[in-house]
Amino acid sequence: MAQSNFDRRRINGPDESYQPIFEADEDLETKWKPGSPRKGRTARDIRPIFLKAGLMNQANGSAYIETEKTKIACAVYGPRQSKTTVYNEKGRLNVEVKFAPFSCTKRRVPIRDAEDRSVAVQIQQALNAAVRLELLPKSTIDIFVTVIENDGIEGCVAAGSVAASVALADAGIEMLGLVAACSAAVVGKEIWMDPTDEEGRVASGSLVLAGMPALGTITSVWQTGLMSPDEAIQCMEACQECCAEIHAVMAQALLENAQNT
Amino acid sequence: MTSTLVSKSERAYIQASLQATPPLRGDGRGLLDFRTVLLETGVAPLANGSAKLNIGKMPHEGGGGTEVLAATKLEVEDVETGDGVDGGRIVCSVSCSPSAYPHLSSNALDELQYDLTVILQQTIGHPSLHPQNLTIIPRRKSWLLNLDVVILADSGNVVDALFMAARAALWDTKVPRTRAVEYHAPEETQTTRDSAGAMDIDQREAIPQTSGFDTREMVRTAADFELPDYWDEGEVLNGRERWPVCVTLNLLPPTHFLDATLPEEASVPLRMHLTFSFGTPNSANLQSMRLSGPGELDLNQIKAYIADGEKYARELFNALETKLREEDIRRNVKARDRFALR
Repeated sequence: MAQSNFDRRRINGPDESYQPIFEADEDLETKWKPGSPRKGRTARDIRPIFLKAGLMNQANGSAYIETEKTKIACAVYGPRQSKTTVYNEKGRLNVEVKFAPFSCTKRRVPIRDAEDRSVAVQIQQALNAAVRLELLPKSTIDIFVTVIENDGIEGCVAAGSVAASVALADAGIEMLGLVAACSAAVVGKEIWMDPTDEEGRVASGSLVLAGMPALGTITSVWQTGLMSPDEAIQCMEACQECCAEIHAVMAQALLENAQNT
Repeated sequence: MTSTLVSKSERAYIQASLQATPPLRGDGRGLLDFRTVLLETGVAPLANGSAKLNIGKMPHEGGGGTEVLAATKLEVEDVETGDGVDGGRIVCSVSCSPSAYPHLSSNALDELQYDLTVILQQTIGHPSLHPQNLTIIPRRKSWLLNLDVVILADSGNVVDALFMAARAALWDTKVPRTRAVEYHAPEETQTTRDSAGAMDIDQREAIPQTSGFDTREMVRTAADFELPDYWDEGEVLNGRERWPVCVTLNLLPPTHFLDATLPEEASVPLRMHLTFSFGTPNSANLQSMRLSGPGELDLNQIKAYIADGEKYARELFNALETKLREEDIRRNVKARDRFALR
């Protein structure tokens, strides 16, 4: 009995309705079989990166990153006075991540979700060691990351860290080095760099590594899934190499922004 | 994770003693020594599996230490209309009792709970560890395994305690045995109306053509299930050798140490959580690795930490295995013997 929808004065539609199944959708579902090579790129290729700094004038620093289907915008406000009354002799880094409701295949509620926090924690871990917080007592740096389109959560974390680092540099906050991040996945016996959402689901394990290529150090490692320690080390070495390449892209984007303004 | 307040001089004192030769710790342990770990399984009778773990309980005063209680509960889920996934799913949650963290506000407590839940869920809920016997009726009904861990007291090294208690609770979990049944409209014959009644559950034997022992067809058309034996606890959860153990290395280059107390955690905030699973006796697989805290490392250091972590995790795993088997014996064989003697 659909009491709420029943209206005696009008012609009512059916109580239950289902979405039609399109024939075209079923054809596109070509499943990846273990042992077959990666679709579209080689195993060690990362997706091409478009990175631009200084898009938002209102923020102290901002950056926009796009890697095929992952689009992330980042804005940095700060350093500004801490709202808490507790005295902290080192500055605080406050990272907030928001997924737009239309960013994933299934609509996300606009309310701040649990998954937002785990991405924020990883980005904060990546940036914490790089920013010179001891020069900013009693201050907070707010980093707001908005995910406009999400293709793989590991890719999101990596791209978010890169965007946040460029935004911090754009804001003129002192850092020890630019932080670059990259993700990798173990699929069968191969290591695929920068997995998309689909690829991440067929992987047996994945790893996100963030570090400062200029100093050769690592600030954050986040690995989940089944991997032998050797595979994990191989993933980390591959990620470090990719981070060096991403660093060049980041430096180029900041240089172009500085030359234009 | 939690911040006990340590002054700068206390922090420098602890760091200097750890880096001295020989290294000194507040309670006189070595760098790689764990405090006493007490484990008991079967503490929650209403749960399908449970365990209580305490690290560092003081023997004379009878209190203190990091105390964690883990319990698993199985629920039936509908795959077609509900949230169920074909093959079953595992959901972990960690809750921190406010009495364990009296200095944290409720928001900070929620965030801590959430962070610990993520670590546990991403490791244990990963498809590579998924047990095979969580299906009831394929594509219709499956089990949802809820693993709930409560932190009753925190005196350092809570992540290791979480994983050990989770492993023990999952080891102890028994999945009830089910049997698929099918509903049949009653035949219009005297015999069935007398024996079965109007809309009663009827077995395949009502149809004369197929043998009553042939249950292949039934699984495909099965609509529901029943428990053949109400009092039977069930079979053990599949894949129990693969559940991982976590070892937290607190990093103070050039040294590292295990099982930190609260002041040590506050003085050495950089730590690495390594979770290993030893499915077969010779192989060791990394199930999760997290670097947390302010600090940077280089790749060679990380390689060394992974190698060391594997050794420590293996010792921890062997000790935990021995204890879990002892617990099994205590609760089943010995209890039965004691009962029989009466």
